[in-house]
This record gives sequence, structure tokens and C-alpha cells, in this order.
Amino acid sequence: MKVPMSWLRDYVRTDATTEQIAAALSVSTAEVNGIDRRGVPGDLSLFRVGHVLEAEKHPNADRLQLTKVDVGEAVLQIVCGAWNFGAGAKVAVALPGATLPNGLTLERRKLRGEVSEGMILAEDEVDLGTDHNGIMLLDDALAPGMPLGDVLPLVEEVLDVEATGNRPDLLSVYGLAREVAALFDGELVPLDDAEPGRAGDETVNVQIDDYAGCPRYVGRLFRGVGIGESPVWLKARLRAAGVRAISNVVDVTNYVMLALGNPLHVFDFDTLHGGRVVVRRAGPGEQLRTLDGTLRALDPRDLLIADADRAIALAGIMGGEETEVTESTTNVLLEAANFEPIGILGSSERLALRTEGSNRWEKGVDPHLAGPAATLATRMLVELSGARWVGAADVQGELPERAVIELRPERVTAVLGLDVPDQEAILERIGFERVGDGYRVPTWRARDVTREIDLVEEVARFRMGEIPFTLPRRDATFGRLTRWQRLRRVAEDALVGCGFSEAYTPTFVADGDYRLPEPLSSEAAALRTALVPSLVEAARQNVAWGNSEIALFEIARVYPHGDGGLPDERWHVAGVVEGGIADVAWTVEQLYSSLAVTPAVEEGDEQLLHPGKGARTAEGWFGELHPSLLDGAWGAFELDLDALAAAAPEALTYTDVSPFPEVHQDLAFVVGDDVPAAALVAAMLDAGAPELRDARVFDEYRGAQVGEGKRSLAVRVAFGSPERTLTDAEASAARSRIVESLASRFGAVLRT
Amino acid sequence: MDPDGLRDEALAAVAAAETLPALDEARVAYLGRKSPLKLALREVRDRESGMALNAVREAIEAAVAGKQEQLEGAELEARLATERVDVTLPPELLGSVRPRRRGTLHPSTQVRRDVEDIFLGLGYEVVDGREVETTRYNFDALGFPDWHPSRSPRASLYLDDETVLRTETSPAQIHKMESTRPPIYMVSIGRVYRRDTIDATHFPIFHQFEGLAIDKGITMADLKGTLLYVMQQLYGPERQVRFRTHYFPFTEPSMEPDVSCFACGGAGCSICKHSGWIEMGGSGMVDPYLYEFVGWGPEEYTGFAFGMGIERTAQLRHGIPGVRPFWDNDLRLLRQFR
Repeated sequence: MKVPMSWLRDYVRTDATTEQIAAALSVSTAEVNGIDRRGVPGDLSLFRVGHVLEAEKHPNADRLQLTKVDVGEAVLQIVCGAWNFGAGAKVAVALPGATLPNGLTLERRKLRGEVSEGMILAEDEVDLGTDHNGIMLLDDALAPGMPLGDVLPLVEEVLDVEATGNRPDLLSVYGLAREVAALFDGELVPLDDAEPGRAGDETVNVQIDDYAGCPRYVGRLFRGVGIGESPVWLKARLRAAGVRAISNVVDVTNYVMLALGNPLHVFDFDTLHGGRVVVRRAGPGEQLRTLDGTLRALDPRDLLIADADRAIALAGIMGGEETEVTESTTNVLLEAANFEPIGILGSSERLALRTEGSNRWEKGVDPHLAGPAATLATRMLVELSGARWVGAADVQGELPERAVIELRPERVTAVLGLDVPDQEAILERIGFERVGDGYRVPTWRARDVTREIDLVEEVARFRMGEIPFTLPRRDATFGRLTRWQRLRRVAEDALVGCGFSEAYTPTFVADGDYRLPEPLSSEAAALRTALVPSLVEAARQNVAWGNSEIALFEIARVYPHGDGGLPDERWHVAGVVEGGIADVAWTVEQLYSSLAVTPAVEEGDEQLLHPGKGARTAEGWFGELHPSLLDGAWGAFELDLDALAAAAPEALTYTDVSPFPEVHQDLAFVVGDDVPAAALVAAMLDAGAPELRDARVFDEYRGAQVGEGKRSLAVRVAFGSPERTLTDAEASAARSRIVESLASRFGAVLRT
Repeated sequence: MDPDGLRDEALAAVAAAETLPALDEARVAYLGRKSPLKLALREVRDRESGMALNAVREAIEAAVAGKQEQLEGAELEARLATERVDVTLPPELLGSVRPRRRGTLHPSTQVRRDVEDIFLGLGYEVVDGREVETTRYNFDALGFPDWHPSRSPRASLYLDDETVLRTETSPAQIHKMESTRPPIYMVSIGRVYRRDTIDATHFPIFHQFEGLAIDKGITMADLKGTLLYVMQQLYGPERQVRFRTHYFPFTEPSMEPDVSCFACGGAGCSICKHSGWIEMGGSGMVDPYLYEFVGWGPEEYTGFAFGMGIERTAQLRHGIPGVRPFWDNDLRLLRQFR
């Protein structure tokens, strides 16, 4: 909400500066996003009230006037383009040297041969309005030479206050003034409850059919309303508050809403069928054309203002077009009501129609505010439009009792960690009344303050800066990463060491086991079940950016189908790397090794991979990326990190290093092409146990010597024993077992 | 001529082509310059037969294109099958393994680790709950009123009426409270979701870290002291912290912490929007409602909670503009974070 300081200071007397007020509100009440300094930027003494002594047509220009204006210590000649005044008028004058809000600095200069010593001002030139049809005419009683700043708000500071959703009382200048008064021990000016004199006693026919939706409806009837422009001060305030001036009657409703927080509405009384108002829910198929020109189909849950026959307003949200106050209106019905928040919120959401009014109602407006709002509006309508107030109605259901809430002073200390001996004074300054051991809640806080802890908060926000900085006193401590969290760090570091940079890709993909009923886009419509497709996309973008040596990894969740409605969220680790099968196989080997897990590698058939270069392990897959996905050779892997962590040993157990030397031999076998090297090695380790300690393939050969469809695999083996040095006979016996086993299982032949 | 007959004959021929040359033969026969269709099209004088013949032409062209893609795919698969390698060989036998420059951890991970370490030092445990939550845990348990805007499908990402992608990491705290009794000192870190349109400052996913401390005798002073320590660890020992009143459904009293601007030292600059203070997130004392929700007495314990953004922390520490760089995965950016 935009709050002009001049307006705020009408309601609170304090010496605090604007900056102090903004800072204090930010800490204790609602955040002030900024202070907007509007209006005249420079020396205000160069703006005066002027008395026009002479005004004639400019001798050399048909559209200009040449005037003599008394500005106090001198009479100046000023050329002016407006014709809405003559000799005798009191006008606003800017003297040479004055700087206007648009940055222009005036100079004494000749216009069409005549000297002009300043400017007679229109409202737009000093940022008080948008009108440039004529200059501003001031009150005839003003003395020439008076500082113009005493008459018009030439300078305005505007606070941009962002109230939280629980504080609708702060969506008003008066509500903020109440807080400022409490913060600075200033005086809150009481609302003037004087009603103007009634000029008639007509019946105002108001009927509430739905007291739950509308606990209160104040209707007031005015006759002889002169629709016109609002005075400059009123237009200037609305403008500073960010509200467009429309006409005196409409401006009054907006002014009162901003001042007190109770939205109002006005109807052209002569357009109401039966001259009456009924508050009810919409009937089946009912429609209403609202002020914005839209014909709206209504829902039976929508609360309406109706006349004898039809809907005339969406309660609290927007009025109807047919009963709108126009230039020709002479009789006005003023509505100062109270509406229940949840229903207004529902209608506003269903109709996608949010207004200044609905924004306040949906947060809950004090039902006791309708009276003061009606009073202020009545006074202003009578004053500004010459209307006669001729009738009134105040229909109300049962308004809520004011709750009394207990507050134990020691509870404040227990929550804040600070003694607040003056808590009673704090609460009373913001409207709470001491009753026995508790406090009676002011009507404007009834929705928000319902429990003792809410009273504690009220005290806390006025002592925010005094609460000390301490740390909890602990009896127990448990600051350690879980095993899984430690292993995640190990995996991250291993991949970084392998040259991979970490990527963060979105959870959403085009298709998955769980779809969003309302997708973000066609590409973000479901929860992913694998990470590699997202990383391929990231790699593709890096190629487009011209980046080289691309290697990306990610550790994130996937969301496959799970039991009981929710996905089985699992952590995956995945990567994409520019290079081939060798690069990715090496990386996967490093990753497994970092977690002390030995992968069991088999051929795989993962769809995202090259059909001849895909591998599978118990925890996932790796291989060369299918060439249709990215140009060139790329490797990719995707592993279930939860499974990998489960496979990692909980604890490592020491094994003695054998003091007896191992015997190393190189064995080469000719086997069919379809025998995987890993299967061969596994069979060797199986057959050679316990003497065979290690076996690793170190060469692969194809060619004429081994024959078509076959290859030779050379394996370095180590025989040994922890108990003694093996004899040649023992080693060769183990070797023979291996050769025989491979021959029978794979038809492998030892090359000699 | 009979357009339908011609079409059926051509489609059959296209379907029968088993190789790319065979398909090309069929294409020439039915769509070539001298094909009956093209000759007939040249003779057309009236609108109806022109439209009929063009429809036939389009049908055949679509069939040829579809078949071509299929045959090319099959051919690629056949070629790839001949490139088979034994993937179970040790990596060094599968080709040359290129030496690479060391990679980098994502800036968000670097912040995550810092946050983890800071809280481990304070004696907290690190918890990451599920991302897909029931509305009961994501909203009801946390005291979100029915009207709260976060409950709207316009603000949050629902899978169905009762299932939502968590909008904050707080549900993990409720699960913890249900599974154990205080003392609880935990920080939960992870992905959270909002229905945001993607632009420079919005992305539907971001990461939060949220702390929770519940014990006997915890006060707002403890919250202030804890956050002062955390902010000084993250942003430097000179930092000061102030608190502003605020409103959150699950805390009462609620406050927003600000940290004194580390760019200007409080004098005012563009980073702190000329206020000298930078907003850090939300915090407050655990609302007694939560204790009742998990079946504890409302005054057995007191506690505090707070939440902040991982990306925002990284932005402030490194001067990263907006949130898009966190999801672009541009190596030119990632490689700066060594």
C-alpha cells in the first residue's frame, strides 16, 4: 500500500522523521519497501500564491495571455497559455529559478516578444494530477505571496508498505498511524465521529438475506448530488496513493477505503428497481455486467447486492454497470458494509477478478469499521458534492463478541528470552484492554489474535531489537552426516576428479510415471525416472555454446512408480561425457572404486545407448550414447546411488600383507568372440582359488592367427599364499585347473 | 485414372520396400517426373480432380518419408550392431582414456556443503525428506489456513488433490517430530517447487535449507544467536543481523532476518537496495499448533525454525545475477567455481 506521509501525519502526532517511521514500521509492523519522494525537487520558496491583477491577450499571439501577477514582494509579468481565469483570480505561481517535478528549471525569458517572469501552474506541472486543460484556481481568500507549499502538497513522501496477509488493518492509513503512534509514543488523532446534519428522513430499504456472508450493511441516501471533479488536495492524495481520480463521489469512496480500510460502494439510486437493496447469493443462471463491461455468469456461492429484481453488484468485489454513478447522477445510495472473507476470496478466484476492495475483504475487515467509514464518507459527500443526506439504514446481524485472552507475563519471557516488564503498556498502545489476567482484543485484530502466543508476538514485535543473541544450551548433540550423506560427498568428489562438472537439471520431463494434471509446458509435464536424458540436453546446449571437453554429472532424485500413491523417490548419479566407451567405463570404474564396490559388468541393452556398446551393472548402466542422440562419440552412465551406497562396505577389515612373494604369469586364451572378458576372468578366479590372487585382462587380439569369430585375451595373473611361498608345482596345478575350466566352460584354448 | 487405386498400389509398393534402394525405386515409379500420377497432375483442368490427385500425392510422399526414416533407422541399427565391443573389458582396452581437467562442484552444492558443515558444527543433523508430499504434511500439519494462497494450484504443483510437490522442506520436520521426541536439532536441505513461469528471477524449482530446534527452554534469543552465527559463517565475521516482524503459518512469533550488507557495509548500494540490509528468508518460534499436531503438550517444549534459499545464498556470495545461471549448466560458468 502506498501511504502519503502528509495523510499519515493527519492521524498521528509525532516528531519522528519519515526515515525513522519507515525503519520502525519495517522492523515491528510491515516492511516498507521504499520511500518515494514526489513533487517539487528543489527550493519551495519559489512557489507562491499569486493574485492576477491584469490579464489580456498577448499582443503577438492569439492563444496566449499576458498577465500581471502580484506574488507578494513584486508584481511580475507572466505569459500564460490557459484561458480559464482572468483578473482577480488567485493562482499558483512558480518564479524564475524554480525547478518543476519534471526537472525543468524556469528562467526569465521572452515569449513572442514579451518578457515572462515565471509560470502560472496547471496541476500536472506540479504532479498533483493529470489535468492540463487549465491552470489551478485557488481559494480567493488566500493572500498573494503566501508560500504555495502551505496550500498545496507540492512535496510528498510516499511509503510503500507491504502488509502481511494476517494484517488487513494495515491496509489503511489510519491503521498504520495507530502503529506509528505506538512505536514513537505519539498521539493517535481520534476519528471525528460527528455526523453532518440530516436534510430529510426517507426510508432506506436494506434487507440482508445472508447474515453469514454480510454481517452488516449501512446504507445512506443522498439527494441533489453534484457530480464533478474533486478538489486538488483530494486528487493529489489519491494520486500519491496510486489511485486514479474519477469524480468527487467515486473519489470519496476510494479515499475512505484508503483512510480507514473499509471498501465502500455507491449506486445511482434512481437506477435501483424498487428503490431497495437485498444482500443475497446468486440464483441459478444469474448474470451481471460489472463496471469493467464484462458480462459475468454467477455461481450460487457468489454473494450479490441486488435490487428488487436483479443483481446490481458483486458484493465486495465490483459494482454493476447499470447502476453505476455517472455524470448525470443526482441521487446516490452509499454502501458501507461488511463481508465475510472466505466467500469473497472464492468468488474473486472463480471469476479471476481481483480489486482493491476484494483484496481487503478476503483478508477480513473489522465489522465495526462500517460505521466510521459511513460517517467520514457522508461528511465528505455533503462537503464536496453539495449533496443532501436524506436517509439512513444500519442492518446488522450478530457481530462477534470481543474475546479476552489470558497472558501470563512469564510466558512472554519464556518465549522471547527477555523480560518485558512494560508489556501491558505495549499492548494498550495498540488497542488491547487489560481485563483481569488477560486482554480484550480490539475489533480490528479479532481474526489474527486468538491465542496467548499471538499476544506474545504482539509484545515481541515491539522489542525485536532488544532480544539478546544467545545459543541454545544443549544436553545432547548429534552433529554428523549420515553414512549416505558422506558417501554422496565421496561420489561427488570422485566424479569431479574424473573431470566431470556438476550440473543441476530440472525434475520435469515430457513423460514419466507421474504426470502433472496441469503441466508447466509440454516439455515439463511429468516427473523424471532417469537423469541421463536431461544431461544429454545440457550437453547439447554446451555444444551449441561452443564449449569443449564436455563432461557433466548430476546427483538427484528420480520418481518411479511407488507403493501407496507416492513415487519411490530414489537418488541417482548420472553423467554424460564427450569421448567414447573407454572414457565412461574408466569413470564408472573410478566411481565404484571410490565407494569400495567392485562392479559386476555385463553386456546391457539400455535404449539410450549404442546397441553394441552398452554395459549393465547391478546398480545401473553405462556405455556409448546412441548416435541418434548427440553427434560424435559420447559416453553416458546412470546408477542408482542408493543401491551403490548399500553395496558399499559398512566397515573395512584389515588383511595382513603376505610376506611371501607372488608368482606373476601372463596367460593368453583364444575364445569365441561372444565370451565376455569379465566372464572369463570370473571363471578364472573361481577355478584358480585359493592360489589365484588376482587376474586382469591386459590385451585383446583379433586376426588371422586366432581365426574368424575368435579373439585372444591375455590375462596377467598372480598366484600366491598368505602362509608360504608357493612351489612351482602348486602354481602350475592351479594354472591347470584354470585352463581346464575355461576349456570346458568356454572352449577356450591356452596359447603357448 | 482411379486415384484411390493408384494410391493403394503405391502405398503397398512403399510398404514392401525392404531396402533404401528399393524404396527409391518405388518413389521414382510413383512420384517421379514420368510417373502416372505426375503426368495426370499435368493434365488436370478442374479443381476437384486436382485436389483428389494432390491428396494422393501427399499420402504417398508421407508414406515414403516414414518408410525412409524407418529403413535408415534399421540401417543405422544394423551398422551399430557390427560395431559391437566387449564392454566388460578393462577401460584401457576399450580405447584411449583422455586425461581431463578437473571438474567442478555446482555452486549450489558448494553452498549445501558449507551449510551442512556449519550446522554440523552447531550439533545439528542433516535431513532431506521426500519431495512429493501429501497436502496433509505440506500444508495441514504446518498450519496453512484454507485460504492461504500457497494452497492454490496456481501457486503450487499438484499431482492430484492430495499430492503436491513440496513447497518448502518443512514437511521433513513434521516427519521428524512424529518419529522422535526432543531434543531435535536438524537442518533439511533440498529441492522445493513453486508454479513459476521461467524468467531471469524465477524458476519452478529451487533449493532451501531449513533449520529446526526444539528443546526445553528454547527462546527467540536462541534463534537470533543461532542465525547471527550462521550468517557470520556464510558471509563473514563482520556481519550483523536484525529481525523484522512477519507472518508465516507455522511460526508465532514470526520474523524475517536481515543481514547487514557485505557489499557496502550498510551505507547502501544496489545489492541491498540502498537499505543497508539484505533479506535472508523467514524464521520464527514453532507455532504451538505443530506440537499439538504431533500429539505433544503445547508447552512441554519450545523451538525455533528458519528457512533460506541455497541459490540466493550462492547469488549473494558470488554475485550471480538471477536464477537462470543455476540451471543453464553452461561449463563456462560452472568451471569458474573451483
